[in-house]
Amino acid sequence: MLLSSTRHEVADMMAAQEFYHSRGWTDGLPVVPPTEEAVEACLEWAGLVPDHLVGVEPVRARAITAEKLAINAVMAGCLPMHFPVVVAAFTAMLQEPFLLHGATASTGGCAVLVVVNGPMAAEVGMDATFNALASSDRASTAIGRALRLCLINMMDVRPGAIDRSVLGHPGKISYCLAEDEAGSQWLPLAEERGMPVGASCVTVMAAGAPRQLMNEWTTVPEEILDTFASEMRANMRHYSIWPGNYAIVVPPQLRAHFHAAGWSKADVRAYLFEKARILRSEWAECGKGAVVRDRGGWEYTALSEPEDLLVIAAGGPAGGFGAVIPPWLGPKSRAVTVAIGACVDCEIP
Amino acid sequence: MPSAGIMTETFVSAAELMARVLGAEDYPFAVIEHPISSADRATLAARAERAAADCARLLLSREGPGGPG
Repeated sequence: MLLSSTRHEVADMMAAQEFYHSRGWTDGLPVVPPTEEAVEACLEWAGLVPDHLVGVEPVRARAITAEKLAINAVMAGCLPMHFPVVVAAFTAMLQEPFLLHGATASTGGCAVLVVVNGPMAAEVGMDATFNALASSDRASTAIGRALRLCLINMMDVRPGAIDRSVLGHPGKISYCLAEDEAGSQWLPLAEERGMPVGASCVTVMAAGAPRQLMNEWTTVPEEILDTFASEMRANMRHYSIWPGNYAIVVPPQLRAHFHAAGWSKADVRAYLFEKARILRSEWAECGKGAVVRDRGGWEYTALSEPEDLLVIAAGGPAGGFGAVIPPWLGPKSRAVTVAIGACVDCEIP
Repeated sequence: MPSAGIMTETFVSAAELMARVLGAEDYPFAVIEHPISSADRATLAARAERAAADCARLLLSREGPGGPG
């Protein structure tokens, strides 16, 4: 296998760390040196040649090859079996509706949320239960981190360079989870978004930090969702009033109440579409009165349509918690779902 | 299409980086004070007036983007 990337000789593991850090090629954490053997192992596992064109970043016309993705995946700690998920996620990020440049360059400071569905999630060791949104397991952490390193090293998305985030959030280190399909009676996210039944898929979303909520004091679906709606409204009041893709994460304790009441994900979406709304006049209560002007009576919805809500089953078994994950900035970037191992641009011979 | 870009001071380094990676290292643009979203109308009007003059210069001068050089 002929790799085209430049080779660098270093004395040992510690020298490799300093070499990479000194060139700005890391996220601040140690990296796994991307030896030829490790990079080739990723490519072989995914069945990709090094110069396979994964996609082209549309704003800067930068070609993204499998070799470069594999190098960064190794650096992030990925095993070869994780690499197809990384390729699929970056393929999704390169789709025009995702607006990769805007989402990664913005002052708003979002991160790329990755949701993995299908049998591959468990096969590569992703755990959708305890600590689902951070450090749940090796695969989730490494896959999410690989995307960030790819952005840094392939797209110059470094703080102060292309990345102009004022604050960012911890999800920029890694923001990846699997959906708990085995523990849920709901349709998987990818299937709801039109992917084939049983296919392994990734969904990417330009996302703000998760806003955790708690409601352990009811079993009524409407009351549980009123807490989610309140958090969505809070985001509209404090951050952005514009509608976009929101995600909610629903752990087992709350899911049980929906399942008992016969509520599907579609029911959840329909309810939140109606309830997550604010008037522009509410901005005056939050110190933003200057932009209310004569539009105080205008009503804004968090979701342009119910389908804009991503409902994700994940989380540890005990506790009436949940999370709302808001969009980067309204409808500018759209969540994208692709199948793992499928080429969305390939022509049928 | 003739055009002239306007950046706020804080984004000058980002604009320079983007110009460089897109192969137009010395691409000129007008610069105004940052931020604009909290500026009052009078302040904004003054900045716009200065920017308009700079944009006219960029569009009409030989050094402007897309100019004959």
